[in-house]
Amino acid sequence: MNLTETLKTLCTSPGVAGHERSAGRSGSASEAALKLLSAYMPNAKIDSFGTVKGSIIYNENLPPEGPAPLLLLDAHIDEVGLIVNFIDEKGFLKVSGVGGIDRRVLPAAQVTVWGKEPCKGVICTLPPHAQKSEDKTVKEDEIYIDCGFTKENAEKIITLGDSVTIDVKFTELQNGKVTSRALDDRAGVAAILYALDLLKDKKLNYNIAVIFSSQEELGCRGAGIAAYGFNPDLAIAVDVSYGDYPGAKENTSWKLGGGTMLGISPVLDRTLFEKMKCIASDNNILYQIEVMNGKTGTNADVISLTQNGIKCALLSIPLRNMHTPVEVIQLSDIEATGQLIAEFIAGVC
Amino acid sequence: MENLLKDLSLLNAVSGDENDVRAYIIKTLENVNCDIETDNLGNLIIYKKGRKTPKNKIMLCAHMDEVGFIVNGINADGFISLSAVGAISDNVVYGRQICFKSGVTGVIGGKPVHHLKENEKDEQPALSSLYADIGAVSKADAENHVSLGDTAYFVSEFCSLGDDLIKGKAFDDRVGCAIILDLLLLELEYDLHFIFTVQEEVGARGALAATYRLKPDYAVILETTTACDIAGVESDKQICRLGAGTVIPFMDKGTAYDRELYNLAFETAAENGLKCQTKTQIAGGNDGSSVHKTAGGVRTICFAAPCRYLHSPSCVIDKNDFAEMRVLTEKLVSKIANM
Repeated sequence: MNLTETLKTLCTSPGVAGHERSAGRSGSASEAALKLLSAYMPNAKIDSFGTVKGSIIYNENLPPEGPAPLLLLDAHIDEVGLIVNFIDEKGFLKVSGVGGIDRRVLPAAQVTVWGKEPCKGVICTLPPHAQKSEDKTVKEDEIYIDCGFTKENAEKIITLGDSVTIDVKFTELQNGKVTSRALDDRAGVAAILYALDLLKDKKLNYNIAVIFSSQEELGCRGAGIAAYGFNPDLAIAVDVSYGDYPGAKENTSWKLGGGTMLGISPVLDRTLFEKMKCIASDNNILYQIEVMNGKTGTNADVISLTQNGIKCALLSIPLRNMHTPVEVIQLSDIEATGQLIAEFIAGVC
Repeated sequence: MENLLKDLSLLNAVSGDENDVRAYIIKTLENVNCDIETDNLGNLIIYKKGRKTPKNKIMLCAHMDEVGFIVNGINADGFISLSAVGAISDNVVYGRQICFKSGVTGVIGGKPVHHLKENEKDEQPALSSLYADIGAVSKADAENHVSLGDTAYFVSEFCSLGDDLIKGKAFDDRVGCAIILDLLLLELEYDLHFIFTVQEEVGARGALAATYRLKPDYAVILETTTACDIAGVESDKQICRLGAGTVIPFMDKGTAYDRELYNLAFETAAENGLKCQTKTQIAGGNDGSSVHKTAGGVRTICFAAPCRYLHSPSCVIDKNDFAEMRVLTEKLVSKIANM
């Protein structure tokens, strides 16, 4: 598996929360992820909420002690973006944010509106001399897109409720880093696919279910719905977390290239955490520890409360500039995350 | 002419580093019978004979440079600090991909939105507090790709928008460059002088030397100007509008344009059924500010294509305005030739 190509396919497919299946139709994020997952899980499909799910269950070869436990792997397929609310009399589109968007990136950004056909546009911004206060960014309720259409022509292609993504070229940086939008959390999706690739033809200690869940950015909705159906024995959520940047504190940001981030928090299972740590050490997999003091802000929070409660671990990939079109990750951190998952599933530790 | 604009705008020529645009213009004029000279500052000074000799010496002017960035520091972890060359609003730099002269890509980012205090979410961080990230792991690593003083520019796609608009970077002033180049590629009615200038964005500096050298009687500045005809802006604050034709300003921050030429330009537009408008705000400035004061004074007029989001990675113009501005330029030159 070519990790960069996989990541590029995932990141260039639109999937604003709630539009994981519908945006860009056949090229949507869920469709792209389904295609990739099907190579390892022929039973993969997209559920009615846009979550991609699949499984490898060894019912036919039950070990003497009974069926192997079911492990759920989760990463979210959706991304933050914008949604069209209103078309004004001159054809400008009024939009609002979906998920915790960073409004600082909006002025003059090029975007694609996923209408009947994809339409390009630019987010309206005033030049400095026409602004009341130059150091303020666009207000939450004043975000407009300039698509260059009259109202009449805009309405032929664009419907209220269409999703919008910010255009950016998926680009490789130095030292195995890449930049794109939506690396949160397509990097996590890629890490799970990377693990499945390592596990090809291996004997597995677990039955595995995978969900690439929808609507995480709206409050981890898709993962809860999909995890309910599988009711796994244990789960690993894979997400991104805060990468280092100049001026960042060491205990609130983690090094790109420092390996996978093992989460520990009151809501995560300590035995799984210790086991992960042990596997990483024994296999020389680079890791760093992320300590949180309660909820993690990831799907682990809801998966752990599914049905009767599920033991949950959290692996994160350090990412810079979260929720911007210039998110940055290092490929080796995705690989480390995938390796750790694969060792957990097939290893001897 | 749209292809010329596409080629020219995708080139990178931050003020003081205009070489790529200059080389493109020289190459494009390879088989055109005209005199081309590059002066000490890097301005291109061009003369082309037409079918007739005008009564006056007429000069057309467009600037080659664009706003961008210059590297002013590299920290121990390999993060790069930048300052703006020309007026770039802090509004349009956060979350952008940029490209350095070496071809290396970087991104401008910083503290994630999740770590901001509520009031910080509305504030645009100053460029001076931000870094570009090329993925380097140390100062030495970064220095393999980027040096102090290197220029950098916005990565931006050239594309069509909606019914009649085009979007790209550096339309200020590749629009003017494209119109002049297009004129030069065809036969001229009158002998004409042209300057493609450097350093406009840092104070209309190149034009001063180039105009001094030519000492023309009349000058036409071909430019872009700020249009604020966007959602939420009242009509008296829109300055000018896309699709309403060539902007002919009576005054901006640098120049009070020649009143006779101003009236003549409107008459010429009307005679030829070309749309035109003026600017409803005394704002901005251009090479005209240098040209009109040079060598005892030059009678100066400006034609500008209205452009939204000027000095951002996403300049937007109307292709009809652009095409009509070229026609109006030719028509006005003929009038001035016989003044």
